[in-house]
Amino acid sequence: MKVFGANELLEDVFEKNLCIGCGACTYLCPYFRSYRGKTAILFPCNLTQGRCWAYCPKVEVDLDDLSERFFGRPYEKDPLGFHRSVKISKAGRQVSEGSFQAGGTVSALMSFALSKGYISAAALTDREGLRPVPRLAQSTDDILRCSSSKYTASPTLSALNQAINEGHNQIGVVGTPCQVLAIAQMRSNPMGDKDFSDPVSLVVGLFCTWAVDFREFDAFISERIEGSRITKVDIPPPPAEIMEVYTDNGKIEIPLDEIRELVPNTCSYCTDMTAEFSDISVGVLEGRPDMNTIITRTERGEKIVDEARKEGFLILDDIGKENLEHLIWAAGNKKKRAFIKAKQEGMLNAREEGARCYLRVRPETVEEIIA
Amino acid sequence: MSYLIDNTEGAQYLLMGNEAIARGALEAGAKVVCGYPGTPSSDIIESLAKIAKDMNIYVEWSTNEKVAMEVAAAGSFAGLRSMCVMKQNGVNVASDFLLHLAGSGTRAGMVLVSCDDPGALSSANEGESRFFARLVEIPLLEPGDFQEAKDMIKWAFELSEEIRNLVMVRSVTRMSHASGNVKFGKLPPGDVHAVFKCDGFILDPMEGAVMSLPVRYKHALQQEKIKKAGEIFEDCPFNSYHGPEKPEVLIITSSACNLYSREAIGILGVEDRVGLLKLGTTWPLPPELLKRHLSRTDKILIVEEVLPFLEENVKILAAEMAPEIGIKTFHGKNDGTIPAVGELNPDLVVGALAQIVGIDYKPVPDEYAEKAEGVPTSRAPARELTFCPGCPHRASFWSIHNALQLDGRKGFVCGDIGCYGMATLPCGFSTLKTLHAMGSGGGIASGFGKLGRLGFDQPVLAVCGDSTFFHAEVPALINAVHHNSDFTLVVLDNSGTAMTGFQPHPGLKVSAMGEDVTSVDIAEICRALGARVEIRDPFDLGETQETLNELIEDKAGLKVLILRQICALSPEKKAGKKYDMTIDDEICLGENCGCNKVCTRIFRCPGLVWDKEKMVTRVDDVICSGCGVCADICPEGAIKRKEVA
Ligand SMILES: Cc1cc2nc3c(=O)[nH]c(=O)nc-3n(C[C@H](O)[C@H](O)[C@H](O)COP(=O)(O)OP(=O)(O)OC[C@H]3O[C@@H](n4cnc5c(N)ncnc54)[C@H](O)[C@@H]3O)c2cc1C
Ligand code: SF4
Ligand code: SF4
Ligand code: SF4
Ligand code: SF4
Repeated sequence: MKVFGANELLEDVFEKNLCIGCGACTYLCPYFRSYRGKTAILFPCNLTQGRCWAYCPKVEVDLDDLSERFFGRPYEKDPLGFHRSVKISKAGRQVSEGSFQAGGTVSALMSFALSKGYISAAALTDREGLRPVPRLAQSTDDILRCSSSKYTASPTLSALNQAINEGHNQIGVVGTPCQVLAIAQMRSNPMGDKDFSDPVSLVVGLFCTWAVDFREFDAFISERIEGSRITKVDIPPPPAEIMEVYTDNGKIEIPLDEIRELVPNTCSYCTDMTAEFSDISVGVLEGRPDMNTIITRTERGEKIVDEARKEGFLILDDIGKENLEHLIWAAGNKKKRAFIKAKQEGMLNAREEGARCYLRVRPETVEEIIA
Repeated sequence: MSYLIDNTEGAQYLLMGNEAIARGALEAGAKVVCGYPGTPSSDIIESLAKIAKDMNIYVEWSTNEKVAMEVAAAGSFAGLRSMCVMKQNGVNVASDFLLHLAGSGTRAGMVLVSCDDPGALSSANEGESRFFARLVEIPLLEPGDFQEAKDMIKWAFELSEEIRNLVMVRSVTRMSHASGNVKFGKLPPGDVHAVFKCDGFILDPMEGAVMSLPVRYKHALQQEKIKKAGEIFEDCPFNSYHGPEKPEVLIITSSACNLYSREAIGILGVEDRVGLLKLGTTWPLPPELLKRHLSRTDKILIVEEVLPFLEENVKILAAEMAPEIGIKTFHGKNDGTIPAVGELNPDLVVGALAQIVGIDYKPVPDEYAEKAEGVPTSRAPARELTFCPGCPHRASFWSIHNALQLDGRKGFVCGDIGCYGMATLPCGFSTLKTLHAMGSGGGIASGFGKLGRLGFDQPVLAVCGDSTFFHAEVPALINAVHHNSDFTLVVLDNSGTAMTGFQPHPGLKVSAMGEDVTSVDIAEICRALGARVEIRDPFDLGETQETLNELIEDKAGLKVLILRQICALSPEKKAGKKYDMTIDDEICLGENCGCNKVCTRIFRCPGLVWDKEKMVTRVDDVICSGCGVCADICPEGAIKRKEVA
């Protein structure tokens, strides 16, 4: 894999407005920091190769390479990515009540992994007001405090990088597909570091079709709530098509179309709805607000899901045919749209000597996806 | 006891020009002396402040130059000889009062000393103060050597009393800061009794009201005074001519250029071909004297620094006298014989003169020049302007820079003159984007802060020093508060006028004379104005940056952050280091991904050095002042600080 440095990251990602603010490039060094949902470079760095560039999920992501590394086969057209099973699930009786987004599957998995010592800490996403705040959870209480979705893009991986700096080497992470992609690149040791050992032990991915830009969202909401304090944000399942914002002065409803206006352009190039490089991916379940859809991908993921079920942390069930078809349809749609757009804009498989691009994947696969 | 108050007549001392000026004021019996610090003028007040109590004179560092001139004027009105001192651009600050004072006239002798800085060695401008004399119609004197610097001050006081108006004396850096032998005169007896007589007839110059009204009457009176000064100048001892009766070329010059011109004539050996008219009285020019000397030859070279002040004035006279003295050819700044900008030196004058007298002159022999070329200069380390080791400004601008980068809305800083002006350069992370007069940062920021309705959405910061805050920032802040302009002022409070040598200012408890005075609290002033005020230690990088971001986001009009930390060079700090610093080679990442030398590549305190052999950073113990800040810059914790016991 070709690796470049911070200057190229600025050129390829920041200047093209592709940064989603995942946090993968932050806290690796003194130069990249995340602030109020945006990633900033503090000072120029002139190294020709660096982890910031190598980890970024928005430039030179070689899907075939990653797929080979994690699943032993090249990237395929399957809308859900490589997987072992798709089921539905929710937190079991061993998990305390929390303000879960849906079934609490994610919090349950993290709590289980922590209690079994499979992970020593988890990089999660808390909130302060509307602002998503990366947190390193080290207890079940911490994990529960971070439950529920923050619909803004979050620099969650800055918590991961800080955890690694502090010497953690058995870390669990929950992230959106772009974050999971960055983690996959981190784990594949792109710098060829001789002393490298994978510090990440469990990756739970979240389904995602888009996230909103925090700064725009904050300005948008502030205008509408006039100083009241936000207690919860929810997007009820279709066909509601609204976002509900609960404040200490009551609830306001905002049409989702207005919210979609705040989605950064970079999401429209994202080909992944189900976090294809995770151990386990979790989303909502159409028509069942108390349940999740759960995809297991790796052996480790499968083992943890199985044990969590046996020990009462997770309740599993089969997914109905209609729900599965809908999931495949939605994920396929996102993938196809993004590949078409990226291809049209020349962001795939740049061939000229030294040229850099967004994604690399076998051209046959691209054709199969957009057919 | 200071040699400056040695009362032995005829005693000789090697004095700096500024000390000679101070001694001149003492010999003249000046009783009130005020100024605002500014290189090259500051030593005058400093040397007088030290002996103020012994000599029973009142000396103060005023809040700004206008106030200095006003305070000095009060002395004159009360019958005391008084002097105010400033650098060239200080006269601009004082100029509104100067105009009115020149109109009202003075009582006891009053002298304005302006020290100009040709070449802007210590200035953000190459200002010319001599035009003020012409502009406000007061006499102007320029000493041509160190003895004159002293004697001319005394003479200026006498002249001021003769015409009852302010007299301006202009020095330049090379006159103020160079030294020469000066022979002392007597010090006058010290008894005085200050009283302001103001109950006489309203127009009585010595007992009436002091004012520039009625304007036509006072203006006419003022013009009589300046005319009288011109007459006195015809026989002034500070104007002199050296040279043949009929030289080929006549040099007309003043001030330090007199020394360069004399040297140039000597170097070229043209004493019998070139005449030198050295003028001490440069406004108004004495016409008869000029006529005599201009009649000597047709070729005139005018040697002066900054603007062609003498040149223009001589040309006007020559034009008027042309029927009598004939047509002259002038060389000087206008025709490019003398460089239009920058300082002069003997070499430049030699070059100009050689060209006119037709001598092929090389300032450096070819052989020497060749040798000089061959001398390796590479071993002399390339040096750039930077903040001192342990300077609070480096830490402050680090945080300001980072706060603006994090904010990400292309914010910037408006500033003014002070050490922190270097923040336009990489040593201040190129954070400062406008730099003008004292206090201009706040005024400009106040303007930017009102452009929101016109589409402007960049965050605006202003910086000023503590001394500058009092000098000229306050009106800008009032403007900002009154108009609800949105910006953040950062007061870089290093407890003194650091750039010019730690002169006290209104924020401190001690005056120039070492007396206890009331300190004025910057934070309280800002709060009283209605601003949100925070105070932080710039050495606490994290807190400073967080506070800055919070203030930048707070849209509540004017916000003030006072960053308080004493200057690294301040007398208080020189005592010792707070921390001993070491670097752990094992931990230092050096050029590797994860640091890439943030300490020596970006932060760049001179106390840190990159060891090319070992590829790690080292602390230079001799240079490091032990502030400890770099420990917080290092991402790996390789830089360790240990409190000095
Ligand atoms: C921006 C975003 C968009 C999503 N879009 C879809 C979608 O289109 N379809 C779908 O089926 N599901 C989507 N989800 C996933 C869904 O909202 C739930 O997170 C998921 O079903 C898990 O539910 P749970 O009850 O198990 O979660 P919980 O047990 O409540 O745990 C939620 C976990 O999500 C993490 N988290 C919260 N916000 C973020 C964030 N911004 N970035 C990274 N991690 C975060 C928290 O750390 C917490 O561990 C989205 C989630 C996010 C954050
Ligand atoms: S190359 Fe390494 S040190 Fe430089 S900015 Fe990127 S991560 Fe930081
Ligand atoms: S790694 Fe993440 S935060 Fe950094 S540039 Fe890429 S998308 Fe942005
Ligand atoms: S900042 Fe720290 S790690 Fe980086 S070069 Fe300096 S001492 Fe070494
Ligand atoms: S402690 Fe560090 S920052 Fe302070 S003077 Fe020494 S080397 Fe410079």
